[in-house]
Amino acid sequence: MIVNSLGIMAPILIAGLGGLLSERAGVLNISLEGLMLTGAFTAIVVTASTGSILLGATAAVIAGAALALVFSIISIDLGSNIFITGLGINLLAQGAIPFISNQMFGTKGVLRFAEMPILPRLELAFEFRVPLVHDFLFGHHIGVYLSILLTALTWFLLYRTGFGLRLRSVGSNPEALRLRGLTPEHYKRIAIVLSGVGAGLGGALLALRLGVYLPNITSGRGWIALVTIYLGYRRPGGVLIAAFVFAFAETVSMAAQGVVALPNTVLLSLPYVLTVIAMVVYSAVRHSGARRHYSR
Amino acid sequence: MSRGSPRGSFAGIAIALIAAVLVTVVMLVIGSRTPQAAIRAFFFGPFSNTYYLGNMINGFTVLVLTGLGAALAFRAGVFNLGGEGQVYIAAVVTAVTANAVTHASAPVGIALALTAGVLAAAMTAGLSGLFRFLWDTDELITSFLIASASIPIIDYMIVGPLNDPASNLLTTPRIPEALRLLRILPPSRLHIGIIAALAVAALAYFLLFHTVRGYEWRLTGLNIEFARYGGINTGMYILVPMAISGALHGLAGSFHVLGTHHAALVGFSAGLGWNGLAVALIGRSHPLGVLPAAMVFAYLQSGSRTAILHTEFTFELATIIQAVVFFIITAQHLPSIAPRFTRRIGARLGIRSNNGGES
Repeated sequence: MIVNSLGIMAPILIAGLGGLLSERAGVLNISLEGLMLTGAFTAIVVTASTGSILLGATAAVIAGAALALVFSIISIDLGSNIFITGLGINLLAQGAIPFISNQMFGTKGVLRFAEMPILPRLELAFEFRVPLVHDFLFGHHIGVYLSILLTALTWFLLYRTGFGLRLRSVGSNPEALRLRGLTPEHYKRIAIVLSGVGAGLGGALLALRLGVYLPNITSGRGWIALVTIYLGYRRPGGVLIAAFVFAFAETVSMAAQGVVALPNTVLLSLPYVLTVIAMVVYSAVRHSGARRHYSR
Repeated sequence: MSRGSPRGSFAGIAIALIAAVLVTVVMLVIGSRTPQAAIRAFFFGPFSNTYYLGNMINGFTVLVLTGLGAALAFRAGVFNLGGEGQVYIAAVVTAVTANAVTHASAPVGIALALTAGVLAAAMTAGLSGLFRFLWDTDELITSFLIASASIPIIDYMIVGPLNDPASNLLTTPRIPEALRLLRILPPSRLHIGIIAALAVAALAYFLLFHTVRGYEWRLTGLNIEFARYGGINTGMYILVPMAISGALHGLAGSFHVLGTHHAALVGFSAGLGWNGLAVALIGRSHPLGVLPAAMVFAYLQSGSRTAILHTEFTFELATIIQAVVFFIITAQHLPSIAPRFTRRIGARLGIRSNNGGES
């Protein structure tokens, strides 16, 4: 169950980390869902045509970053409303992917290719005797390790580099940055592109883990990634924990499906229900915390 | 969090509409085996017979209501992104109510079914307003998430417990004949709901621009801090606009059942919420601006529907058009970029523009 949870966690975590970077720069990127979908589609198409997972994932990252760049140009340079633009990106991905898929492969539906390489797993060459520890540490696909590594990297970038400091001050105090002679827009743009990198890679993992592209393969995971940012108190470690909690909840609900016979369609609403509960609880807690702070 | 109410600039609106038509034509040319016929069907199809014409006007009714719902929320500075779910919820509740009150007389039955649907939708949207009011939870995200959570559940109910066993379609049973709204332009589906939609638009205009509450409503949307400083109960102008926005989406959903289809079809509301937002943005969130915007959108929509015979991309087409409209419509720097751009082209062509002086 934990193995499953970690596998489900990785794409959400990586997309969430990307979203965290743009959130810290003061841009709530609600287009994560569309960026992930783009990453998933690109990853499958490129992996199938080149036979290389690495190339597929790289292409997905580039596609996510490119679409995020479009997002940043429209929202920052054209000055469009950032939420409406983010929705536009989601809609564009939803509309353009089936269109492109149909032009290339003659179908808007499932893309399954023969000889699709599978995501490698990290297995030990020797027997490791402690079962629970073994299950927790080994046997996952490489995306899981990558996601943990990226969590540490994001933490380092945000808190241990000058770039990270400036990025965070764009979100908290853009005027101070401007007074120092720097342009906040520049950092916002980089942060948005980085969120595209994260979401693209997250989407790639999602699809490569299955080895197929399904329509709406993300099914709300981009939104969950968005909420892990809030739930994780806008910190990389927090995003890691929040993403794991969601992944575990999903694993449990999938297991429960066999027992209580929940209809499949109802299960589709679960990520959204959990997300909205998490958001409301988070804001209620923060709200009462702020009030206490104020009265003190 | 201050983000103001998004309102399209006039240059943005013009460019967005041109871009929408261009995208449509390009997609039809790429995606259709018979592009010429598809384009002809797209542009002239809606006027080719009373069936298409009536259905286009009926689509206009829906867009006016959802557009007004989105616009009224924008005017108060709140975002309702759950329109699609609210339309859907209202439709199911209306269908169930209409089938339950078969013994009531027609006016009572219609009133009951309509009220139930509208109330359900208003409460759904109002919930997001309440969260925002109580704990400052972002209503933009919660309204979307609540809708996304409810859509699969309603899908399940229509396919499962509420399904009509007599029909091959995935739909609720058809409502009693007596409760169906009068059709205006048979054989099309246009019904008298259009009169209600136009009345609601006029009412919204009057409320917003000719009453004190409307003034407070708009002031809260323009600058919530200023409004609070001026003694306006701004909490109310978060909660109430959300609920009213939901109610208008609900009215669209109820009309779908009582007038258009006489049953709630599975997935019928897909994209309706986004369309409403696009209409509100094109109409600059003005109740009367929503009317021409809804007309243009209804035309685009029914054009792509008649072109369906020539292409398989109606849904994708509509989605991409919405995306393009969203990108351009709220662009604030377009008016300043566009002249610069044309001047640069002009300079290249050796033409000097007279309206220099602006930088």
